[in-house]
Amino acid sequence: MKIVAVTACPTGIAHTYMAQEAIEKECRARGYEVKVETQGGMGIENELEQEEVDNADLVILAVAIGIEGEERFDEKIDEGKVLQIEPQEAIKNPSQVIDNAERL
Amino acid sequence: MVKKEKSFLKEIQKAFSTGVSYMIPSVVVGGIFLAIALSTGTATDEGMQITNSFMQNLNDLGAAGFAMMIPILSGYIAYSISGKPALIPAMVLGFVANNPIGPDGIQTGFLGAMILGVAVGYLVKWCKTWKVLPTIRTIMPILIIPIFVTFVVGMIYIYVIAAPIGTFMDWLVRVLGGLQGGNAIILGLVIGAMTAADMGGPINKTATAFTLALMAEGIYAPNGAHRIAVAIPPLALAISTLIDKKKYTAEEKDLGITALFMGLIGITEGAIPFSVKDFKRVMPAIIIGSAVGGALGMLNGVEALVPHGGLIILPVVNGKIWYVLSMFIGVFVSVGILHFAKPNVVVEKEKEGKVLAKDMSNSKIIEGVGNENGKISN
Repeated sequence: MKIVAVTACPTGIAHTYMAQEAIEKECRARGYEVKVETQGGMGIENELEQEEVDNADLVILAVAIGIEGEERFDEKIDEGKVLQIEPQEAIKNPSQVIDNAERL
Repeated sequence: MVKKEKSFLKEIQKAFSTGVSYMIPSVVVGGIFLAIALSTGTATDEGMQITNSFMQNLNDLGAAGFAMMIPILSGYIAYSISGKPALIPAMVLGFVANNPIGPDGIQTGFLGAMILGVAVGYLVKWCKTWKVLPTIRTIMPILIIPIFVTFVVGMIYIYVIAAPIGTFMDWLVRVLGGLQGGNAIILGLVIGAMTAADMGGPINKTATAFTLALMAEGIYAPNGAHRIAVAIPPLALAISTLIDKKKYTAEEKDLGITALFMGLIGITEGAIPFSVKDFKRVMPAIIIGSAVGGALGMLNGVEALVPHGGLIILPVVNGKIWYVLSMFIGVFVSVGILHFAKPNVVVEKEKEGKVLAKDMSNSKIIEGVGNENGKISN
């Protein structure tokens, strides 16, 4: 299983990175391949290439704000393979988030 | 922008969060520079007069930061709704909202800018659905959308909605600027409670957006209350782990140290690991403590000039003594509630085997969040 995700919160200093950590940790615990792009106060870090998005089985957008490069995920959204949540949900209950994503 | 079934309200909330997100550095530049420059001035009947020419220049830089903040807010609200073509028309109109316009010189400030941002966002969204010839399509984003949208929304604003919003804004600024006694307490309580309610989440950010917007109108007290409140949840839990050692596990005590530093630098998120683990006891304690701190700050006219909290902003606070006192009293209240509400760890183990099992399954998650907290405070 390959999962890619984007995290972004309004201030971009805490929740963005906490959500990243939570998703990465949960995916690794399950033995999934994972890459999480953060759009925090410093802008885009760990950027996802279009190819990486295309190759992913699932996309998680844990975002509370409008993100840059949202069009990268258009195709995955049409396929119904994108889970949109608040960053808080990923921090509080990462295993449930991944479970929900798997049900897509 | 992408998901069609997304509810209107959610989209608006996301748009406002995006606007605030991009606006924050501009408020920081404005707040800090103005605060430093004004602190060197001499008090006169017409307010602070800055005599030093270097400080006057710093003052001008700060004023530019504040002038940009409203256009950036409206621009990125629209950007969040319909992307790049909406950005500049909304920035232009945000500038219009923030400056006197029309025969009566009406200004509508942040409220007008937010409405214009949303209006531009949706009008551009509609423009993007037009079926046009390929030759025209190429000039849509550079010629047709900016001119059409700025003209239509701008004229409707000037002729129709500017006057009522302007009247409302004048009323709002007058009321909130002159709040005293009971009303100030209520506003402080609400701001404080919202600040702690989700520790940096959407409710907290709504309070932030509100207080930032008022800063643009020159009202700094609600921001003072908010900035007192942001520090209370992490500080309260940190101190609680120090004095009530029996009520916390070893890992929680480590988290307490992290929370202490996060509280001092005004990052409410330091309290999250504790509330994840013991939601029903921690939440009331920090909400009540933050509400008390916020109310005391409002009542005593504490003003924070920057959009950040904790003790590190003390140099740019008006009413330093009450800023610190309100914060400590709020922390004291939270710690007191935690002291009486939280059972000892050992007791919990003996009495409720189920609770313990649940706590242990949660502790993995908490550990993860805690490590991340550690990174942030570094």
